[in-house]
Amino acid sequence: MSFAEPWVLVALILLPILAWLLRVTPPAPRREDFPAIRLLLGLNATEETPSRTPWWLLALRILAAGLVIVALARPVLDAAVSMQGGGPVLLVIDNGWASAADWPNRAQAAASVLERAERAGRSVALLATAADGSGAPVAATVAMPAADLRPRVTALQPRPWPPDRAAATTALTAWKPNGGSVAYIADGLLHDDAFDRFAAALGAIGPVVEFCCAAEPQRVLLPPGGEADRLVARVAQPPRPVATEAVVLAQSGDGRTLGRTTVALPANAATGAAGLILPPELRNRLTRLVLQGPPSAASVVLLDERWRLRPVGLLAGDRTGDDAPFAGSLYYLRRALGPFTEVRGGDLEGLLARELSVLVLADRPVAPGAEQDALLAWVEKGGLLIRFAGPRSAREVGADPDPLLPVKLLAGDRQLGGALSWNEPARLSAFPTATPFDGLPIADEVRINRQVLAEPTADMAARTWAALSDGTPLVTQAPRGAGRVVLFHVTANADWSHLPLSGLFVDMLRRLVALSVGVVVAGDATLLAPAETLDGFGLLSAPPAAATPLPAEQIARTAASPRHPPGLYGPENGRRALNLGAVLPAPLPAPTVPNATIEPLFDSAPEQALGPPLLAAAVLLLALDMLVSLALRGLLRPRIAGLALLLAASLAPAHAQSPEVTANPALSTRLGYIVSGDPRIDGIALAGLRGLSDYVNRRTSAALSDPDAVDPDRADLSVYPLLYWPIADDAQPLPPARIAALNTYMSRGGIILIDTRDSGSGAGFAPGTEAALRRVSQGLAIPPLAPLGTDHVLSRSFYLLNDFPGRFTGEPVWGQRDQDRANDSVSPVIVGGNDWAAAWAIDASGRNPYAVLPGGQRQRVLAYRFGVNLVMYALTGNYKGDQVHVPAILQRLGQ
Amino acid sequence: MAEPVRPGPLASRADTARAEAIGARLPPLLLAADRVAATVAQGVHGRRRVGQGDSFWQFCRFVTGDSLQRIDWRQSAKSGRTPPDGWFVRETEWEAAQTVCLWRDGSASMRWHSRAVAEDKRDRANLLLLALASLLLRGGERVRLIADGNAQATRAIEGRFGLERLAGDLAADQGDTSMPPDVSLPRHGAVVLFGDFLSPLDDIRALIGRFAAVPVTGYMLQILDPAETLLPYRGRIRFRGLEQDGDTLIPRVETIRDAYADRLKAQQDGLAAICAAAGFGFGVHRTDHPPETALLSLYTALGATASRR
Repeated sequence: MSFAEPWVLVALILLPILAWLLRVTPPAPRREDFPAIRLLLGLNATEETPSRTPWWLLALRILAAGLVIVALARPVLDAAVSMQGGGPVLLVIDNGWASAADWPNRAQAAASVLERAERAGRSVALLATAADGSGAPVAATVAMPAADLRPRVTALQPRPWPPDRAAATTALTAWKPNGGSVAYIADGLLHDDAFDRFAAALGAIGPVVEFCCAAEPQRVLLPPGGEADRLVARVAQPPRPVATEAVVLAQSGDGRTLGRTTVALPANAATGAAGLILPPELRNRLTRLVLQGPPSAASVVLLDERWRLRPVGLLAGDRTGDDAPFAGSLYYLRRALGPFTEVRGGDLEGLLARELSVLVLADRPVAPGAEQDALLAWVEKGGLLIRFAGPRSAREVGADPDPLLPVKLLAGDRQLGGALSWNEPARLSAFPTATPFDGLPIADEVRINRQVLAEPTADMAARTWAALSDGTPLVTQAPRGAGRVVLFHVTANADWSHLPLSGLFVDMLRRLVALSVGVVVAGDATLLAPAETLDGFGLLSAPPAAATPLPAEQIARTAASPRHPPGLYGPENGRRALNLGAVLPAPLPAPTVPNATIEPLFDSAPEQALGPPLLAAAVLLLALDMLVSLALRGLLRPRIAGLALLLAASLAPAHAQSPEVTANPALSTRLGYIVSGDPRIDGIALAGLRGLSDYVNRRTSAALSDPDAVDPDRADLSVYPLLYWPIADDAQPLPPARIAALNTYMSRGGIILIDTRDSGSGAGFAPGTEAALRRVSQGLAIPPLAPLGTDHVLSRSFYLLNDFPGRFTGEPVWGQRDQDRANDSVSPVIVGGNDWAAAWAIDASGRNPYAVLPGGQRQRVLAYRFGVNLVMYALTGNYKGDQVHVPAILQRLGQ
Repeated sequence: MAEPVRPGPLASRADTARAEAIGARLPPLLLAADRVAATVAQGVHGRRRVGQGDSFWQFCRFVTGDSLQRIDWRQSAKSGRTPPDGWFVRETEWEAAQTVCLWRDGSASMRWHSRAVAEDKRDRANLLLLALASLLLRGGERVRLIADGNAQATRAIEGRFGLERLAGDLAADQGDTSMPPDVSLPRHGAVVLFGDFLSPLDDIRALIGRFAAVPVTGYMLQILDPAETLLPYRGRIRFRGLEQDGDTLIPRVETIRDAYADRLKAQQDGLAAICAAAGFGFGVHRTDHPPETALLSLYTALGATASRR
């Protein structure tokens, strides 16, 4: 423990003086009214002012005063050891990607270095080893007072690229103060081969304090491998002697996690991998993989089109033998495409009904008409149509050019080689450059025996992606709208050529399918500008100032750097991802700097100022002293003592306040009624719903709480399954907000029971409510209504009912006429005039205060049963309307 | 502790009821009066001269002008003389009622009680005054309240049912002087004073002297709170008077308790001496003692029965 202002402790010598003062000062007198004061005047005691302050009270007060003095001296617990050496301190911070995970600890370590330097009165210079985003070289700041440097240290952020140790070494050698020492907050990774020189340069300056060693390994999420049915998430880390696990989350563009996998990292292993299986639709919505844990640029991999799975539809000319082994027209296609895409079969309509990237037609002519139009529309929206020639399509060549063929074909086919021919089966020529097949090796074993020929045109060369050695086209293509049509001039099986037997076939198809993203692959040298880049914590943001475009061909080989930060590059419809993990040396642990004093980065307890708790203790002691003084003077009454104790208690645990509890109507099911404003009607409604809830609770397994009065302007209606709405005769048209609230409630499955209370005998009790109903229902989305009959679900949702009496009976009850599947065919509104609430109402002693008309216990029971049916209807929908129950219900009706 | 003033007939009715209940245990009080104030009111005190009354006083020779109805025919016949010389008229003694003037101290120092008792001194004074008045009225005497202000408050009250009116007058009297006001009193009347009489003795001597000069006689009852008698406080206390008469800081009250008791004794002795000199009776009453004892001592001191028999 040390004191920030030790000179204050001199005041402790005042304590004896204070003790003497306290002893000679008598306690304050009590005050008494006394009528016989005249007899007391002038009566002076012989014994004046004895010192009656008890010794323990004196000790208490002196202790409180001593606490105050010590607190004002600002004692500090756990003060860090001061730094060695003299002169300025160079604070070196690794702020590359590996530092992001525990950046708060590093910032705290940096702050503690600044505090120590400030206490020692030394100036500080800052050297961040990772270049910042402005393109400025790595350099140390000038030495300045710690207070001036503190904002810069606070503003320092981790970068999404590795630290530049070589440049930092240059900066270190350039920093030449007189004397000085180094505080180095290391990220513990080698990064490159310049670490030894870097460490030597650190040691050359002066004594080194190294804050070292992250508690968790710094993991890097590598770009996943794409397989047909899964993404393979890969994680790299410095090898560790114990096996660990990492969790990888697959997220969509809106940040939702669509998949999750656990990557096991065995002991002493540098990498681990795990598959992530997702349906193609979900997989194609992924935009990033994230390593669960503290956010950093290394824990994010952005996914671009390269990882999209493209469903391929296959369609053969004859559906019967298309998958026959070694002979079927789709047999080879399935095996070539299956491993890396999702292959779908079926008829053309079924295929086009779902999302489809590529459609392969193997020797299947397309008839002009609806089929051709549908296909053409699909292609022009961006589909890739791959067609294979064959005997059938060779026959079908007509006079009109087929829009779904890239070239106009000549009728018939051409046979190369054979018993009656002098020429030999043709070989492939090299693929033209600037085609998708560019760079594929030519398979020598491929021979083409037969092909269909295109009518020569001027742009035939541009349309040809692959040709035979004699120059005749093997693969031709033509764009159609946003899509493309590709024609293989041979069959998809081995009848006409060896191509399907070759590995080249697989590569060609893979290139073609990769083409199908709807994105024309950018040319090799196209510069892709940075669009959004990751910051040090793995968040996408605007690119830094130093970020520059890079050629598309190099995006997979470029290491993350200030010039090329990780992120998304290119135009909006063809973003390419540059990932930090793509080109990154395997993370290896770095040794510590030789001769450095090692300080832990993590369990360095922060300095604790003891002043505030000491002051609080002094205040408590003084409060206690006040209580004791009051007690000694006899003024301590229970109320005052309680108040003082309360005060002291509120000082001590100020944070132990429980949150305020508010009534929440969503916690239990309850009925509600819409407040009419007439206290009599509202009272009946409340009593009625109370009676009904009671009845329902007794007779059914539904558990209803006490009903609520609901004001649609304020309350959230969605928690009430059923609202009872008695119409007052003076009701006025509703304000728009209330109309909107009620319409929303009805459209989302709520039920409103509207009661005009004027049915039958009730016409005299509640005159004018029908006109009032007409007024209030203006603007309400009430569907067309029809009288409810015995076939309605409401008549059998719990009890079997023939009519729906309330206090009155006689007139029909109305519900929605049409079945609305959206709301489970439940009518959003029930309209009637039977004054049900009055029939259901019970008073405090459990009796029914309102007689039913025309009367009888039977009517009361039926009214309750209607209520139960209504509650069940509101809670279970048309469950009882299922046809399954009709026979049983009919049977019971028959009895 | 000063309590709010109790106005209104309801409070006085409760006071009256309690006072009557206390007084009911004693027989009606007939005042011992050697000389009776000259009032026209019929009473029980003979004035040793001819006048209206029930008691026989003397026979007197009939002179012309006397009413024939007043002739005592038996005495006339006994005399044996001829009419009208032998005619005697029967004369009765003039009997009059004594007027008792009552006063109680209503000042702020009376509206106080210590924590040990629940009733302040003025309430006790009111109670005793009403109880005494009830006894007097039942005895046929006249009662009058000494109060400054209007004549309504200073009327004389007689008859058994005058107590209510007296209680009303008492409630209406809000005088807060610690000395009775200087009103004219009937000569040879009686005065009963209730109060704490903590004022300087000179003031009280002047007061009693004024009464003796009228002349009236009477009784002085000093009503004290037990705290005023015993000074039961401890420790360091600042005492404050209730009538702007200063305050004093006593460092240790327990040390001056004896000195205070001496001073109080001196005051009471002084009061007794003053009263004895003027023919007044003097008594002390503590509010924690039952009111019946004070009433009994008043009864015996004022009562005529003891002195006449």
